[in-house]
Amino acid sequence: MLHAYPFWSAVAALAVVGFELVWARTGVFRDSSYWIAMVIVFAFMIPVDGWMSKTSAPIVVYNPAHVSGLRFPWDIPVEEFVYAFALVTLTIVLWERAAPAEAR
Amino acid sequence: MNRFQYLALLAACLVLTLPLEIVIGARVWRSPARLARALLPPLVIFGAWDFAATAAHQWSFNRAYSTSLRLPPGVPFEELLFFVAVPICALLTLEAVRILRTRRG
Repeated sequence: MLHAYPFWSAVAALAVVGFELVWARTGVFRDSSYWIAMVIVFAFMIPVDGWMSKTSAPIVVYNPAHVSGLRFPWDIPVEEFVYAFALVTLTIVLWERAAPAEAR
Repeated sequence: MNRFQYLALLAACLVLTLPLEIVIGARVWRSPARLARALLPPLVIFGAWDFAATAAHQWSFNRAYSTSLRLPPGVPFEELLFFVAVPICALLTLEAVRILRTRRG
């Protein structure tokens, strides 16, 4: 499949959004603390992922046929931010769902 | 020491976020059952994706910077730690943000 990484990242992000809005309904997208936390997570993702994906000495090596080719900032594939959104949001939604009953 | 680069990076993320738990009081590490319920499904889903993508040569892991503990088809065990460390850091961030915003009234 051409450009599998951006495609599946988008599918994952949409699936997680759908999971929250339709099934889990924790309300995180209405919680400004969630959005603030996401900004912080992305801010830290940049140096960490930047280090991991730097093409001079990458820890993870991407097949050019399966990434968008857009890398920013530094050598981070832009679709990686979509992937991260999906992974982190799913974790947070599940964390919220598992909250003790009195805290909800 | 280069072989431990990926592992060291993940360990650093967990160490550097410890103050969120200990100083700010996020109570993420101290809620192990809740944490497990948040971590396990993404680990399974994103882990399976990772194995499939690695097998399909969509990406690979540089042998120079990961340990030799590899799961077929070439996923370093550190990658599984990635799916533990990154979500924990994100949850610590979320809970710390909430606590700090509550304190400020």
